[in-house]
Amino acid sequence: MGTVDVVKVPGAISPFRARATVVSRRMQDIGLQVFHNKTAMAGLIILLFFTFLAVAAPLIAPYSPLTAVPDVGPLTLPGGVHPFGTNQFGYDIYSQVIWGTQISLLVGVLAAGVASVIGTAVGLISGFVGGWIDEVIMRFNDVVLSIPWLVLMIVVAARLNYLDLAGIILVIGLTGWSVTARVVRSQVLSLKERMFVERGRMIGSSNAHILLRHIFPNAFPLIFANTILTVAISILSESVLAFLNLSVKSNVSWGRIIAEAYQHDALTIGMAAWIIVPGLCIVFLVFGFYLFGYALDEILNPRLRRR
Amino acid sequence: MPGDPSLSIIPRDPKFRGLRDYMISFFGLDRPQWEQFVIYLQRLFTLDWGVSYQDHRPVADILFHDLGWTLLLVGTSTIITILIGIAVGAYSAVRRGKAFDFVSTGIGIFLYGMPIFWLGLVLQSAFRKNSVFQTWIPGWPALPTSGYYDDRLIPWNWDIVHLADAGLHLLLPALTLSLGTLAGISLVMRNSLIDVMTEDFVTTARAKGLSPRQVLRRHILPNGLPPMVSLIALDIAFILGGAYQVEVIFRYQGIGFRTIEAIGSLDYPLLQFIIVIGGVAVVLANLLSDFLLLWLDPRIKIS
Amino acid sequence: MPTLLEVRDLTIEFRTKAGIVHAVEGASFNVERGEAMGLAGESGCGKTTTALALMRLLPYNGRIVRGSISFEGRDLVPVPEDSMRAIRWKEMSIVFQGAMNSLNPVQRVGRQIAEPIMLHEEAEPEASFKRAGDLLELVGISRNRLNDYPHEFSGGMRQRVMIAMALACNPKLVIADEPVTALDVMIQAQILDLLERLRRELHLAMILISHDLSVLADTCEQVTIMYAGKTMESGKTMDLFTDPKHPYTQGLVGAFPDIRGPRNMPEAIPGDVPSLISPPSGCVFHPRCKFAFDRCTKAEPALTELSVGRRAACFLYPQVTEVPPRPIAITEV
Repeated sequence: MGTVDVVKVPGAISPFRARATVVSRRMQDIGLQVFHNKTAMAGLIILLFFTFLAVAAPLIAPYSPLTAVPDVGPLTLPGGVHPFGTNQFGYDIYSQVIWGTQISLLVGVLAAGVASVIGTAVGLISGFVGGWIDEVIMRFNDVVLSIPWLVLMIVVAARLNYLDLAGIILVIGLTGWSVTARVVRSQVLSLKERMFVERGRMIGSSNAHILLRHIFPNAFPLIFANTILTVAISILSESVLAFLNLSVKSNVSWGRIIAEAYQHDALTIGMAAWIIVPGLCIVFLVFGFYLFGYALDEILNPRLRRR
Repeated sequence: MPGDPSLSIIPRDPKFRGLRDYMISFFGLDRPQWEQFVIYLQRLFTLDWGVSYQDHRPVADILFHDLGWTLLLVGTSTIITILIGIAVGAYSAVRRGKAFDFVSTGIGIFLYGMPIFWLGLVLQSAFRKNSVFQTWIPGWPALPTSGYYDDRLIPWNWDIVHLADAGLHLLLPALTLSLGTLAGISLVMRNSLIDVMTEDFVTTARAKGLSPRQVLRRHILPNGLPPMVSLIALDIAFILGGAYQVEVIFRYQGIGFRTIEAIGSLDYPLLQFIIVIGGVAVVLANLLSDFLLLWLDPRIKIS
Repeated sequence: MPTLLEVRDLTIEFRTKAGIVHAVEGASFNVERGEAMGLAGESGCGKTTTALALMRLLPYNGRIVRGSISFEGRDLVPVPEDSMRAIRWKEMSIVFQGAMNSLNPVQRVGRQIAEPIMLHEEAEPEASFKRAGDLLELVGISRNRLNDYPHEFSGGMRQRVMIAMALACNPKLVIADEPVTALDVMIQAQILDLLERLRRELHLAMILISHDLSVLADTCEQVTIMYAGKTMESGKTMDLFTDPKHPYTQGLVGAFPDIRGPRNMPEAIPGDVPSLISPPSGCVFHPRCKFAFDRCTKAEPALTELSVGRRAACFLYPQVTEVPPRPIAITEV
């Protein structure tokens, strides 16, 4: 057996390198557009702020969120070192709100990740395989989409009985994938029609190859934008579950802070901040994800971009 | 579902052993599963939905009572939402890129991200008796923040006093639910109308010499509405989710309030039919929207 | 009586994110009563924009920068929007490209035809619908179909409905923007015949816009050739087709196969229509012109009268100081 001489043609690059270049140029292009898009930047700044809060919580928060502060008792009115007061167990609410960022972000991002992975897989298969499989999957998807999500979530949450962090992420993720599946499917259908897939067929690529190497990379930016929007919805879902006492019991999250405040009539006892502040945190974090997600969707979705 | 339901209606005392066995055979828990399912279907369609573990009243009675109030709440707020949502959406579509569009879209996205339960809490605190606003702003109204009518008016009567009071109690919950779902509708309405506005027949309508208002009413809206109808039908699940939260906050004892209670007390007869009712509601909403579409869009034919 | 339509130096701009688009620059033409004028050129050269501007229907980001559109001696450019509405469809109407989307899909065609009659003539609904039925019969459709929806018609039939609608208020001028583009050849001929017949019977003036010269050849007395928003050449249809002066017109005429002459492959004009945001210097056509010389890249040729009623904007022909092609009727102010 002789050795195979690899002839290096100066100036020519391998198809893999070429694709990598194209993809990275496209990413750079998107990055540039994000940078010049005011909506996207506003969203990004909000997200960076909350990410900083979450990561730096141990440094910023003056107290631990789940131990009573030594200096004052429970239900202290706001003021002094406790800007939002203390809760029914004497925990510092200001510190709780800062630590709560972690859970809200973590649950939101991971649940959206779960929903996106399921939704993408379902959408890819449904759109690519087509035929009766597509029909069955989409009908099932319609059913899931039309069940009142809160009931579904409550049933799943109640069924699992004890929810830890992984549990809550799974509950939200498992009930939140149908929109993603729909978006991905329609994207796959349009990509399938495009030339390069045909060419991929002709040179004898397997279906899996076409799906993973051609369709998925092209659908990815849109999936990403959709995931960002799903994060917003997941954060809202977590807060609702927490408010209904169905979320993580051992960690502090914004929804749970509001629930405790509500149970202790925070508004009548002059502790409005106990309810208002964590609520505003949810609103702004979700707002940030929406702004960023919508702007990204606008940049990536050429149909919208034309307007 | 978890838990042994028989435990929650029978005291955990050995001397009630016989009662427990009786209950098990009464509920048919000793029969094979398929037989249980047939019995379940039988009872489902004869409205023999069993008895609530919690307050020992027939499930059908409880749920139909609750359903009335939930329908009142959801119906009122959906009508408000659709009217305002379409108006705001249409106006910002017409004034695309202008200040109104920018502000309403911004507020829309902001409201869209607001947890409905929290919005309810904020409104509740703003309009309760002795609220902060009331001490500062003279004439700031106080609205009822809980229940469907004043306890002093029990029992219910179909007279003007009761109806007026029920309307007053409906105000805040309906407002909360409307604000929570408004943004979605007006944002989609806006985009759908902007889509329609780029169509050629709109230019034709303008070329005919119609005023902008006539173009909007006769040509743009009739074409923008069909997608909205199917969207609202799809959204009914979301609206129900919002109604649950609103009912809990305002102690408005409809289906949602009952659900949370039933979960807390593992009241399975109640829970299973609550889910049935949720499903039926969604199916009915979709059926209704299909008929509406048939009427609104001549291109759709019954196949 | 003043000329029906006199367009002078019409210049239209669009503001877009990418910059200002100079969609039409200095378009000038006349349309006499009962006369058909053709407007030709490749797509994207400002034909449709001109048509929309005549009815003052430019999109929100477009505006008329200068020039005048005098209709029966009255300049339409400064007319306020409210008064403009009374002119639209009553005085001049428009038939759009591809009747598919030009008709409202969720409204019965009878109502769509009757709508402008009720609006402009304040007619009773009954009389308007009777009129709509007459109009349908005029374009060769049974009046039984008044209650049908647009999707129940074929493409050619929809275009007939659109033409019936355009005639609803007895306008003096009908603008037909690519009226036959989306139709197959047989139907094209039928629609063109219909337009031609109606024009003669009703003594209509017509502006026929098409990228397809063969569509204009049989229908129009006058033709104006546009390129990149500018008028390249205008004149009598026969003269222009048999003896094109401007290199662009020569290219366009050459791009159509001649069934009578020797079998030559039609010659395409190389290159693309230039960007209207930053048009080429000098003559806009010079990058694609095979006769281009030094001067073409630097200066812009003026539209010059070569013979009576024949004008071209090209340095190949002697440039004289621009004279208006026909004496402009001087109206007392």
